Amino acid sequence: MAGKKQKDDVGGLSFEESIKELTNIVGKIEQGQIPLQDSLQQYERGMALIQHCRTILQKAEKRIEKITESEDK
Amino acid sequence: MAVLATGHIDVYTVGGKYQLYVDKLEPEGVGALQLAFEQMVKKLQAEGLFDDVHKKPIPAYPDRIGILTSESGAAVHDIIDSIHHRWPCVKLFFYPVPVQGEGATEKISAALRDINRRNTKFKLDVLIVGRGGGSLEDLQAFNEEVLARAIFNSRIPVISAVGHEVDVTVADLVADARASTPTKAGVVAVPDMQEVSGQLVGIERRLTGQITARVKLAQQKLEIILANAVFRNPLLLVQNAQQQLDELSAELAETVKELLAEMREQLSAAYEQIVRIEPHRLLGRKTVELNDLKNRANAAIKTITNNRRMQLTAQASCLTGLNPKSVLHRGYSITTSKKTGLLVRNSKDIQIADLLITELADENLIESKVTKK
Repeated sequence: MAGKKQKDDVGGLSFEESIKELTNIVGKIEQGQIPLQDSLQQYERGMALIQHCRTILQKAEKRIEKITESEDK
Repeated sequence: MAVLATGHIDVYTVGGKYQLYVDKLEPEGVGALQLAFEQMVKKLQAEGLFDDVHKKPIPAYPDRIGILTSESGAAVHDIIDSIHHRWPCVKLFFYPVPVQGEGATEKISAALRDINRRNTKFKLDVLIVGRGGGSLEDLQAFNEEVLARAIFNSRIPVISAVGHEVDVTVADLVADARASTPTKAGVVAVPDMQEVSGQLVGIERRLTGQITARVKLAQQKLEIILANAVFRNPLLLVQNAQQQLDELSAELAETVKELLAEMREQLSAAYEQIVRIEPHRLLGRKTVELNDLKNRANAAIKTITNNRRMQLTAQASCLTGLNPKSVLHRGYSITTSKKTGLLVRNSKDIQIADLLITELADENLIESKVTKK
């Protein structure tokens, strides 16, 4: 089902992309133009995005990668 | 460091010492650098390197940040800590460079170019170039034209984080954004996690609220529809149809009855007509007539037949009477010549020794010979 597939690929989005889509979704639902069925789907996607954002935030990066000059100039 | 002191000399009577009371203290020998700085700023500004239109926006939620600063010194830790404190989920990449001394500007510029070239691999969203506080001489590398151009040409947005709050270098002016010190780098480069978390809570609330409201609205609509007569009494439609059917049925029965009555009447009338004709009587009469005729016919035929029979009998008698052979019974015979087959009437017809055939009444033929005439 299209709805389920939508939820699953949230994981690949960056924080910026997620927030953008989230804002979009909230706007769409608030305007009330889309049919109820779609609203519910969008809601589910929105919640998935929120969860995804929270997951990103909770991950604290401990490592710092060092870059050095490359051999080939 | 050499200083230029301005003040007055006075005597400290107690010790008999001459003392210099300083009113103003300035760094000496810095004048040239200061001038060079001002000229550089003027030059690059005229070229438009500092214009806002060239400044790239800093990504709101960076995923990967590159840091260019000295490996030694506090700056690198200040920068890293300030970022980690606010937005710990970002990945940091550290590119160590000298931040003062011979060739520092060139090395930093080369580093910037290098990262830009290899960014398909690193995928950095923003760069931070900085160093800790120091004198104008210490900060010289960040006032050089080479670095300014390297920052300007960087496709990746660059944040400068140089020195103390009061220190403004050329790098600060040309960068896409400026952090007043390395410790403020985090504030400029990344958002505040707490704040963003709060925003997410707010969004969640809005989203849930909106959906709940919409679902409630839809439910109300549904209830209104369900309250409709058709749902309260779903058989209504069937009942109406049933009613219609009953009415039509009755109508049909009525119509059929009338039709039958009509036909019955027609039948009656026709029967009356027929009875009036008294067909049985007519039939009776006709039968009698027929019998009569039949009898007459039979009689007639009988009569005719009898007549004919009588005629026949009469003629038969006559014929029998005329039968030449009946004479034979009276004793006469018929004699024919065997030779000629002709009747012998008189003696002239035969000769002696002729053969004669005589037919008698019993139809036997006798042959005889004439012996005497």
